[in-house]
Amino acid sequence: MVRAVGRHRGALLVFGVAALVPVFVRDAYFLDSLVLILLWGALSAAWNVAGGYAGQVSIGHAAFFGIGAYSAALMGTRFHQSPWLGMLVGVALSLVAGAAIGYLSNRLRGPYFALSTIAFSQVLLIVASRWRAFTSGSEGIPVPFRPGFATLGLSHVAWVYMALAVAVLYWAIQVWLEHSRFGYRLAGVREDEDAAQALGIPARRLKVIAVTASAALTSVCGTLWAQYVGFVDPFYVFSVDLSVRFALNAIIGGMGTALGPFLGSILITSLETYLRATLSGVKSGFTGIYLIVYGVVLILVVRFFPDGLAGLADRLRARRARAQA
Amino acid sequence: MSTPATAMLTLERVTKRFGGLTAVREVSLEVRTGDLLGIIGPNGAGKTTLFHLISGYYAPDEGRVVFDGQDITGQPAHAISRLGLTRTFQIVKPFGNLSVLDNVMIGALTRRASTREARGDAERVIDLCGLGPHATARARALPLALRKRLEVARALATQPRLLLLDEVMAGLNPTELAAMVDLVRRLHGEGLTLIVIEHVMAAMMRLAQRIVMLHHGEKIAEGTPREITSDRRVIDAYLGEEFVLAEA
Amino acid sequence: MDPARPLGPAQIDVFAQLGVSTVLLGGIYALIAVGLTLIFGIMRVVNFAHGEFLMLGMYLAFWAFTLLSLDPWFVLFVSIPLFFGIGVVTYLLVMKGVIHASHNVQIFTTVGLSTALQNLALVLWSGDFHTVRPWHAATPIRLAGTAFNLSQVVAFLIAIGLTVLLVLFMRWTHTGRVMRATAQDRDAAILMGIDTDRVYRLTFAIGIAAVGAAGVLVSPLYAVYPTAGLQFVLLSYVVVVLGGLGNMMGALIGSLIVAAVEVAGSYYFGTAWKEIFYFVLFIAVLVFRPAGLFGQRGAENLGV
Repeated sequence: MVRAVGRHRGALLVFGVAALVPVFVRDAYFLDSLVLILLWGALSAAWNVAGGYAGQVSIGHAAFFGIGAYSAALMGTRFHQSPWLGMLVGVALSLVAGAAIGYLSNRLRGPYFALSTIAFSQVLLIVASRWRAFTSGSEGIPVPFRPGFATLGLSHVAWVYMALAVAVLYWAIQVWLEHSRFGYRLAGVREDEDAAQALGIPARRLKVIAVTASAALTSVCGTLWAQYVGFVDPFYVFSVDLSVRFALNAIIGGMGTALGPFLGSILITSLETYLRATLSGVKSGFTGIYLIVYGVVLILVVRFFPDGLAGLADRLRARRARAQA
Repeated sequence: MSTPATAMLTLERVTKRFGGLTAVREVSLEVRTGDLLGIIGPNGAGKTTLFHLISGYYAPDEGRVVFDGQDITGQPAHAISRLGLTRTFQIVKPFGNLSVLDNVMIGALTRRASTREARGDAERVIDLCGLGPHATARARALPLALRKRLEVARALATQPRLLLLDEVMAGLNPTELAAMVDLVRRLHGEGLTLIVIEHVMAAMMRLAQRIVMLHHGEKIAEGTPREITSDRRVIDAYLGEEFVLAEA
Repeated sequence: MDPARPLGPAQIDVFAQLGVSTVLLGGIYALIAVGLTLIFGIMRVVNFAHGEFLMLGMYLAFWAFTLLSLDPWFVLFVSIPLFFGIGVVTYLLVMKGVIHASHNVQIFTTVGLSTALQNLALVLWSGDFHTVRPWHAATPIRLAGTAFNLSQVVAFLIAIGLTVLLVLFMRWTHTGRVMRATAQDRDAAILMGIDTDRVYRLTFAIGIAAVGAAGVLVSPLYAVYPTAGLQFVLLSYVVVVLGGLGNMMGALIGSLIVAAVEVAGSYYFGTAWKEIFYFVLFIAVLVFRPAGLFGQRGAENLGV
């Protein structure tokens, strides 16, 4: 137990601090940032299951996010059901969609697969934005706020703990991947699929499982996000920018590590909230600035810091260990 | 279950074509339990393709592959490996970003349900293959000789009954070569059945009980090392007169 | 349309119109795709930012038209060397470092570039939709019952002209041969003493020049806004994949096929569902014939 705690020092610190913040801070804006950091972190962790651990890089995960968001919104407004039911519906749909995308990952190589995931998310965007009768088309759907847990109408503080619970769960899932039989074999598939097959690993099946799971996990967060923010806009929830963002956090923090997505989210989301605060008075065009930064950061990180922040931390730790030895 | 008298692996007129090229043409052979069969031949003879066909990487266009009395023709590679037939790759394919231990563990997990048991298996195999000092090193950082050993160790961890080694001696210096030959001989001595593709004839002569020669996808000779090296066709197509003189 | 009725003059007109639409559209798609298939075929890099350079070409035409009253046809001549230079700069700053890196690194590099360029446009010029309306955009041409505007026809002619020039360049010049050799076997090319870095630089610059020129040409035909490139990205990849990567003739024919699908699909189902057609076509090709119609079977397993 003590060893486990030591090994996961970083996570303990991050999540511990997050848990304590609402005790001391009541500023709504600050708490809002915290909720977003945790949710984006969880979303990147979900992406990481497919992208980092299974090696299937998708730039279309917004598809599953949007499915989750729309499921909640539609179940709430059209069928007057609880968003939890909406979450289940979203997960069911995402499992199907994820399995289809997983199938594609076995037919298409890296860049082609990424392209097809983009295409898929764009198709959903078009369907959602044109199907006026069902999804209110391009206007989007406002998600009604009804207080209570069953309707996911929570206070800011409650949302922090909700997001924290999901974040910790997703972090734990990734840790499980790093230590379980499934995770080890998945790592083999990621590193060299042919070699993995030659060792008795059903590579294709594992890839589909990973992508499908990743889709479902993303969908859950889509539902939560929709309930939190209160509005579902098809041009946002299915956007390529959003998909890139899920990947970005994981890459900056360390693809294929459990804490990486959260580290990346802390950095990126904080940067975004800061930029948005300082530039909020200026014309709307300036909201694009942080996206330019993201793009440039992505290019630089992927080239010069492929292991991300987590990798940097590891290297520092190794250097310190060598110095002490 | 195969006994020494029955065949562990039987190839019946296995054929593989790629477009207009017949890479393997009606190759038949038999491997009994406890054998160490060598396969030689010039580059492009179809040796590695044959391994691909046996291990399920490719499906044969014609012919049958029977392992332990079971027809495995056309089955996928991972299923065949689970049955106890594992191969290594000519150009080694380590899991580069993972440690040596993790690499071998992944092999062991084919048989083991728990990572703890797999780790135990892996540590034993790593010691057996002389990789002990490098267990925590990243596979990508290993020199070629150690990568070749890792390739063997990882395959061994799947507890195969039949192991296919594809040119594990290539690119090794004399010391490394002797160590690898020693390893293969030990494995054979402990009861493992092996098929070995090699260009390094010195190693082949020391290890193989029987040798098959492939040329242009066909089996043109089969016999003991002595018979093979005095076979005119083998000398003409592959070994060359210098080899005969050197051996004499 | 009732298939049981015999084809009267109205139906023939429709087919003729659809046919000419297809050809005109196909020519433009060819120019976009030809640059992409070159980059893809020779450098083996999937350029996710290809659509953004098209968008920049559209903006160039827009600003030249709005601020300097310059017709896009004139801007075209400036755009080719300009985008060639932009291509060289982009190669040196961004692409050169990742040419030998893993797929993932290349994917994220060009995705990052795409995001950065899209939002650069957004920040500099806002998200407003703009149009370029030179005199020829409203000049109708009527021919045997079909109707088009002059912009479309000239865009087509210029696009085809540039594409043919490019094909001839690749086939007949020494440099073109060198580029094709590098596409076929990078290592052999190095052994032959070919400076592959120069080849890649040239390839990328040509590819960007082509798509930038295409952007200028299509500016009278489509709305100009920061994410205008997105709609063309997917279809250009469909074209490239259909034609077989690196195959320029394949890109030409693939363009016609994609244009045909789009024109026919839009006619029967409406323009909104374009992307869905691309997606279906894309997936169908990749699943059933990944080497493309003209690529060698199995080619998709070698070296993307």
